[in-house]
Amino acid sequence: MVRGGGRAAVLVLCTLCAGVAQSCGRDEMRPAPRELRINLETEPPSLDWSLATDGISIIAIQQLMRGLTRLSRDLRPEPDLAERWSVSADGRTYTFALRPGVVWSDGEPLRAQQFVDSWLRLLAPETAAEYAYFLFPLKNARAFNAGTITDPGAVGVRARDDATLEVELEAPLVYFPALVNFMVTFPQRRELIERYGERWTEPPNLVTLGPFTLEEWRHEYRLVLRANPRYWAGRPALDRITAYMVEEDSTALVLFEQGLLDLVKLPPLEIRRYRERPEYLRQPLLRGYYYGFDLRTPPFDDARVRRAFAHAIDRAEFPPLLQGGEQPWPSWIPPGMPHANPQLGLAFDPERARALLREAGVDPATLAPVRIVFNSDQTHKLVAEKVQAMWREHLGVRVELENREWKVFLKELATNPPPVFRLGWGADFPDPDNFMNLFTSYSENNHTGFANPHYDALVLRAASEVDPATRQSLYDEAQRILCEQDVPIVPLFVTASNFAVARRVHGFVPSPMDLYFFDRVSAE
Amino acid sequence: MIRYAAGRVLAGVPVLWVVATLTFALLRFLPGGPFDKEKTLPPEILRNLERRYALDGTLAEQYADYLGRLVRGDLGPSYKYVGRDVSDILADALPVSVELGLLALAIALGGGIALGLAAGTRRDSALDRIVGIATLVGVSAPSFVIGAGLILGVGLELDWLPAGLWEGPRYAILPALTLAALPLAYIAQLTRAQVITVMHQDYVRTARAKGVPEGRVRRHHVLRNALLAVLTYFGPLLAILLTGSFVVEKIYAIPGLGRFFVTAVTNRDYPLVLGVTLVYAALVVAANLAVDLLYAWLDPRIRVGGAER
Amino acid sequence: MTTSRATAALGALVIAGLVGLALAGDRVAGYRFDAQDSAHALESPSRAHWLGTDALGRDQLARLAEGARVSLLIAIGATTLALAIGLGYGLLAGWLGGRVDGAMMRAVDVVYALPDVLVIVLLIEILQATLLGVPDVARRVAALVAALGFVGWIGIARLVRALVLQAREETWVEAARALGLRDRRILLRHVLPNIAGPILVAAAFQIPAAILAESTLSFIGLGIQPPFSSWGTLASDGFEAMRSYPHLIFFPCLAILLALIGFHLLGETLRASLDPRRRA
Repeated sequence: MVRGGGRAAVLVLCTLCAGVAQSCGRDEMRPAPRELRINLETEPPSLDWSLATDGISIIAIQQLMRGLTRLSRDLRPEPDLAERWSVSADGRTYTFALRPGVVWSDGEPLRAQQFVDSWLRLLAPETAAEYAYFLFPLKNARAFNAGTITDPGAVGVRARDDATLEVELEAPLVYFPALVNFMVTFPQRRELIERYGERWTEPPNLVTLGPFTLEEWRHEYRLVLRANPRYWAGRPALDRITAYMVEEDSTALVLFEQGLLDLVKLPPLEIRRYRERPEYLRQPLLRGYYYGFDLRTPPFDDARVRRAFAHAIDRAEFPPLLQGGEQPWPSWIPPGMPHANPQLGLAFDPERARALLREAGVDPATLAPVRIVFNSDQTHKLVAEKVQAMWREHLGVRVELENREWKVFLKELATNPPPVFRLGWGADFPDPDNFMNLFTSYSENNHTGFANPHYDALVLRAASEVDPATRQSLYDEAQRILCEQDVPIVPLFVTASNFAVARRVHGFVPSPMDLYFFDRVSAE
Repeated sequence: MIRYAAGRVLAGVPVLWVVATLTFALLRFLPGGPFDKEKTLPPEILRNLERRYALDGTLAEQYADYLGRLVRGDLGPSYKYVGRDVSDILADALPVSVELGLLALAIALGGGIALGLAAGTRRDSALDRIVGIATLVGVSAPSFVIGAGLILGVGLELDWLPAGLWEGPRYAILPALTLAALPLAYIAQLTRAQVITVMHQDYVRTARAKGVPEGRVRRHHVLRNALLAVLTYFGPLLAILLTGSFVVEKIYAIPGLGRFFVTAVTNRDYPLVLGVTLVYAALVVAANLAVDLLYAWLDPRIRVGGAER
Repeated sequence: MTTSRATAALGALVIAGLVGLALAGDRVAGYRFDAQDSAHALESPSRAHWLGTDALGRDQLARLAEGARVSLLIAIGATTLALAIGLGYGLLAGWLGGRVDGAMMRAVDVVYALPDVLVIVLLIEILQATLLGVPDVARRVAALVAALGFVGWIGIARLVRALVLQAREETWVEAARALGLRDRRILLRHVLPNIAGPILVAAAFQIPAAILAESTLSFIGLGIQPPFSSWGTLASDGFEAMRSYPHLIFFPCLAILLALIGFHLLGETLRASLDPRRRA
């Protein structure tokens, strides 16, 4: 140590040079064939499909598991784990015949009881699943979730035998087969969940039956999925998917351009540069972006104030800002979804906004700064700063911005919602009910505290209404309450996904429901 | 020497104990627990949660339990990563940060000392001036500036090295260079200054006058004193490496301690925050101890008479 | 480090320029720092916007000037705080010596072992909870000043203590004591002016350290929040877009670099002028 200080330095330098020289060959960085590397952007909050509610977790879950049906390119339900199904004459009872020969990754066969176990777990009050309301169309499901009925046998789902699942609904639901494509209805292995407790989703405990299995989960860094040779539809074309969690958009993009990532979401600022390139892929989505108020916190407990803030937003500013194919949309049911109505919603009207504030007795000068909370992302930050400027300019209100990690943001929404928050909603199934029942009083995904019995009744009625004209008027009335009168939310625009896809990847086609199916993807 | 070493080790223990107690106090009194304002949970579940997060019993009982767990290396469960213990999380993240830190340290020490020696012994030459400017820029550039430069330049334009992730030895080079830049520059400046000072001191002049060859003069006297000076800087150096790692791990997407720390802070995952704090504190104490021992070994004057540090 | 007149002048010039920028604020650009203009977003430097604009159409020169205010304010505030605390603590420990000194230095060791980021975060939390009614930006600035001052005082305290210990042994101090002068008088009116030189140099080097620390914290998102900006937040925003719009990260980084170089040169000049041995 005392002696060759200079020599040590030379040695270090030489090692570095050797490393750099070696890297000029770059063989290690070339991907293996049939291997896909994507960017998941952030840590998935949960891989438990009864508890997960977000788009990041779904990306992983969708490769690991499947459900009774899946949706075709034009969003019609097709057989998946259910080979066929039939419905009774009164439309209330569905019978699903399970596909024979489907096995879990540990070799156990698929049984109808595993669906029953999963659905009951979703509805059980102890699970505290936010998506419990998703299965409220089932007979007695609501009562069971509320605890008024304690016998799980009373809930309208049972396994007639190992291969037959019988479902009984409260009222006929035309889109029910589409509903069961969604992850919360995927089957579960009750005995494994009981054995492993909270760690049942960690590898190697997790047992699944989809095209891929979970090989590794290095938290905050990457997930590794492996092809499942036992998948009923045949082994997928990819051997391995590595989902990294790179939060910095610019780092992810540089990695993509270096050939270390094959699929990244393009941040708004990069879209302009990528639009003409072959790697660019845009997919319009059935996905709405809204700002929600917490109705329990003043001044947002007054509907006039909420309407004022809504009138002070000029939606036309968002498309040039975000460049991602966003379409301003003042009502809630998105275009492309049946019964959408572009005429509804509150338009940009700063005069009206200020008048409403005066009427409500709110003085912007003395009002405490309004907090907008959003999850860390370039898009949300841009939108928040834009809204902050608009509210300051048109209302004279001071606004403070706070950001959170996605996982924590979701938790905060559930336990202690901020006065103003940003959120999106993508369709779980292609029917307006999925969008409208979000804001019913019994929906756990409703973080606004909005509870309007008339709205609830309208949505409930519309769900089982068969006549399209009646359905349209029911939804119009409900949307008027949601977007013009009570305004617990301000819908801003509908989004599109913008990707950069490496040329070695083929067959990547995201659906308008923002679902990815990597079993149909191949890579050179 | 042994006695001195033992004394230094013992001196480190109370430091750790104070840090542990402070973190316990903060953990109890800061807002944002694992389930504040959660939907009203049934009492049995509430009791289970309390037991798991060790929030039952009196404050004294909790403290005793906490210390006991610490000694056994159990840092408690994380608030945000349900089902995972802080020690598990740290066990994954620590080796990554240590690798990165050691590599950066090696680069900073090796490069810095070499440059400082070269510049100091050739004072006012062209090399000295170049090194002077380079080190001035080096201490003035925050790590994200260097990182941005390296990512765009070496990563993108030249496409020599990966601009992120942690998949193999090649992935460590850019982050380590970024992390090492500032310490390297500072060590170079320090070494150079020391070299110049020592070269003019009486005993060196004496050695030269006596006819001792230049090379030996350099090795024995100049280098030794330069190293001593660098050693005194070791504490701040470690601190800089630790805080520098936050930025570096963030921009290069490296799953190290720094990245977890920043995420835990924004998430208010206090057990994780405080677990990382304790690990850092332990590292600092251990490093200081190593430095003290090394110092004592290199400079016999320190060992005799334990007046002050 | 050659500290010829030229480099000293250069340092002074750079600092004067940046301070001037900070004092002028966004007036130097003719735009408000938070004025958004969607029609002119993401433009490269041009006649209308000398340093270009960002995604929301905000003029970058205005933001840089405003950022200069925030960054310099925090750095100078933190340095002043560190100097005040460090000086007091060091004087006390050095003068009293013995057991008290030992205890005080042990305490310093413990504080030193805490990672800076933790201290900063905790102070921000505490101040957020207490200073209600004060705008968020003021709270954050206060927290950053307090936190950066808090991590900076240790070095100064150690230096002051060492200097005081040294000075205590000087014969003239013993003589003053023998003459019956009160301790405090000796300390403040005689010892302090003598050791002021190195302390000022240390303080001068605290400023760039504080700028560096603040920009790093803001870069990882723990510092100033929008629409306000410091150089660190500007660099962070720029980093996100650096692939397509490098001008957004280039200028904040240049500003930080120049500020740090300037203050380092200033510190070096001070050190050279105060240390007779160094004049070769």
